[in-house]
Amino acid sequence: MIRATGLNKSFGGVRAVHAVSIDVPENSIFALIGPNGAGKSTLLNLLSGIYQPESGTLEFAGHNLIGLPAHRRVRLGLARTFQKIRLFKQLTLLENVLAGFHIHQDAPFWEHVFRGNTGRFRNEARELLAFVGLEDRAEERAGALPYGKQRMLEIARALATRPRLFMLDEPAAGLNGAEVEFLLKRLEEIQQRGVTLIVVEHNMDLVMNVAQRVFVMDHGEPLFEGSPREVQANPSVIEAYLGGEFAP
Amino acid sequence: MTGRHAAIAVAILAIAAAPWILATPYWRGILVLCAMNVLLALSLNLVMGYTGQLNLGQSAFFAIGAYVSTILIKSHGWNFWLAGLVAVLAAGVLGLALAAFAARLRGHYLAIASLGFAVITYQVLLNWEDVTQGVRGIYGILPPVPGTTGLFYLVAGIAAAVYLLLDNLVRSPVGDTLRAIREDEVSAASLGINRAAWKAFAFGLGAAIAGLAGIFYPGFVGTLVPDAFGIVESFTMMAMVIVGGMGTMIGPVIGAIVLTFLPEVLRGFGELRLLIYGLALTLVVLFMPGGIVQAWTALRARMRR
Amino acid sequence: MPDLLALVVQQSVNGVYLGCLYVMVALGLTLIYGVLNQINFAHADFVTVGAFTAFFVATRFATRMLGLPDTGGYLLSLIAALGAGAVLGILVNAAVFAPLRRQGADELRPLIATIGVSVLLENGQLALFGPIPYQFDSPFARETIRLGPIFFSAQSVLVVAVSVASITALYVFMRFTFLGKALRAVAQDRETAGLMGINPNLVIALTIVIASALAGMGGALLGPVVVLTPFTGASLIVKAFAIVIIGGFGNMQGTIIAGLMVGVIEAFTVQYLGSGLIDLVVFALLLTMLVVRPTGLIAERKEENV
Repeated sequence: MIRATGLNKSFGGVRAVHAVSIDVPENSIFALIGPNGAGKSTLLNLLSGIYQPESGTLEFAGHNLIGLPAHRRVRLGLARTFQKIRLFKQLTLLENVLAGFHIHQDAPFWEHVFRGNTGRFRNEARELLAFVGLEDRAEERAGALPYGKQRMLEIARALATRPRLFMLDEPAAGLNGAEVEFLLKRLEEIQQRGVTLIVVEHNMDLVMNVAQRVFVMDHGEPLFEGSPREVQANPSVIEAYLGGEFAP
Repeated sequence: MTGRHAAIAVAILAIAAAPWILATPYWRGILVLCAMNVLLALSLNLVMGYTGQLNLGQSAFFAIGAYVSTILIKSHGWNFWLAGLVAVLAAGVLGLALAAFAARLRGHYLAIASLGFAVITYQVLLNWEDVTQGVRGIYGILPPVPGTTGLFYLVAGIAAAVYLLLDNLVRSPVGDTLRAIREDEVSAASLGINRAAWKAFAFGLGAAIAGLAGIFYPGFVGTLVPDAFGIVESFTMMAMVIVGGMGTMIGPVIGAIVLTFLPEVLRGFGELRLLIYGLALTLVVLFMPGGIVQAWTALRARMRR
Repeated sequence: MPDLLALVVQQSVNGVYLGCLYVMVALGLTLIYGVLNQINFAHADFVTVGAFTAFFVATRFATRMLGLPDTGGYLLSLIAALGAGAVLGILVNAAVFAPLRRQGADELRPLIATIGVSVLLENGQLALFGPIPYQFDSPFARETIRLGPIFFSAQSVLVVAVSVASITALYVFMRFTFLGKALRAVAQDRETAGLMGINPNLVIALTIVIASALAGMGGALLGPVVVLTPFTGASLIVKAFAIVIIGGFGNMQGTIIAGLMVGVIEAFTVQYLGSGLIDLVVFALLLTMLVVRPTGLIAERKEENV
């Protein structure tokens, strides 16, 4: 689905991502893990277009992504959420999700000026809110939601772009057990609807139960790739995490 | 929808009746000024309130509207409306130029760059004497319709039309897009929004509307000098938007009306007009950032309990 | 000395003199930005307040009431302007910056608030002093010193001396005193500094006081050189911002270099361009700067932090 070879990205002399190559199979759940500072978020930013790599190739479903700005990638079918929640806090839940339908707007400009809101996507927006269990709070301000629900709102909003590839940056961070369960089920469901998922995570439960393939990074470089079980048993991975959430 | 229709009816009535309630030439002049200020405040609100771009240089577009139209009429004998159209387009194009900067700059940098834009425009108007007459000014400019009352109806009518069109626009998905850019540019980009293009749109349209206000200004005042379009004008516009309520449609209208009439009502304080603006702006930003609209909403909520 | 060389040296001397004045103004601006991440739009108006304070102290108070000689009066007025700036800084911090910080306001509201303060200060002074320019004569401006073919006024020597002294004092303060280090800590990372026992609010207040005092004194030094009206400071805003941006927000060395640069450029071009066009040139430079290197000549490029 998305394929990269030899990606390099540095910031002021620090090599955040170095010689990373990945190949994410279509309609899979692909996990990206590694200790803090491993470069996972940077890699995600490279894939989604917030950063441009210094070298390497990047291809998505046959399209070359190098040089393509972030907003154009969304039109190709890439969506993402952020590690630090970036909702439109002053807008309502519904307005947040509606913003995600922007790329599907094809009404001519003058229709907006002379006729105003046609409300075409309201129903679909409500459906997405229902999907994440928030439809009864549609008119509330997004900033007023508790943290866990803000995360789900961010997912609903990203889904509004109707992605083929959905990238999530630490979606389970700060969620309690029940919320993680809910998140897991939603992710599986998204996959069943034909979407490919890349999940950056620290939380091993998430990775083990849900991912088909796991890619481990450390210090900006690729460390190991395999099935969840293989990764868990790999000694260098365990060492990289040293005392982390791995159970030997 | 009927609520909206009722509001439109009230507005039309108010506009129609105003020159007969405030029936002296002096007050009718103030009404014309008020209508122009409404247009200016609406234009700035589009850029600052809805798209979240800190633009301190809006006076430049007001100036372009005034100068381009006047020069075309006076030096080349153009018809007012044709000259006005070209002036509005010129202002819009200049707005796109500013947007080119806005695309890369945030917050303070954009504020200063836009200020610089206004200063440069002012200096060009001042120094390009062959074309603009610089500090000497252009004299004997006639309004497009005779009489202050007629001019008021014209400008107020245009302001009302612009209001309605903008209102439709911000309620539409375009408004959602602009608001998304205002709230968080990075996540807006992650939803496929082309920030640079939409900022250009907002700046361009805002500039064009300011230019539209500008084409009526010289005829109203009779003479045209660069000093009318300095940083002070930009700050005044900003004060109107913020005091009224930035980010709402009715806010700038209220702000423009209040800040146009308040100094007049406080008789004898004419010279302290700007002092009042400064005070109002500071107090509102400190204590009531949503302006009069916020105060009104809070009051209504309290009365309901 | 050959004529051209003499001319170049003369203009350079003038440029350094002008530059020092600009540095005094811009330094405060960059200090405030460094520690607060905010631009004080009213900063240039602090300069005006300083100038007027100095004027009244020098001409009315010191000479008439205290009977000091002209030179003593002027020097006293410098100190008075310093104090006036400091007081103004305390007031504006207490009334505007601190409350907004408590409210957790974004960067837009404080900026607009300082614009409001700027308008207030300008028009307040207009109401108090009227629009007609004041004649601020410094006794040092009348004395000319001659070094070969190069002329400079005693005032310029005073300005350079005071600027250098202030900058040195500031440098020593920042590097070697505890408060100075606390200031740098807060500028770098306010939260962590707070966690290490530094009271950021106090440090911020102190910074604003220093910055405003510098501006006030700059006004006193500037007063005799320019046309003194309530809008004197405002006419400087353009250059002050340009200097801060070119030097890099929050970057002290950069600001100093940029300030001197602008002063020298102005000294060399003012003969051909006149002061209005100088503004245009400086701002055109600024806009070019913003396109090419928004973080300033000296600072590093930063990518968007996601």
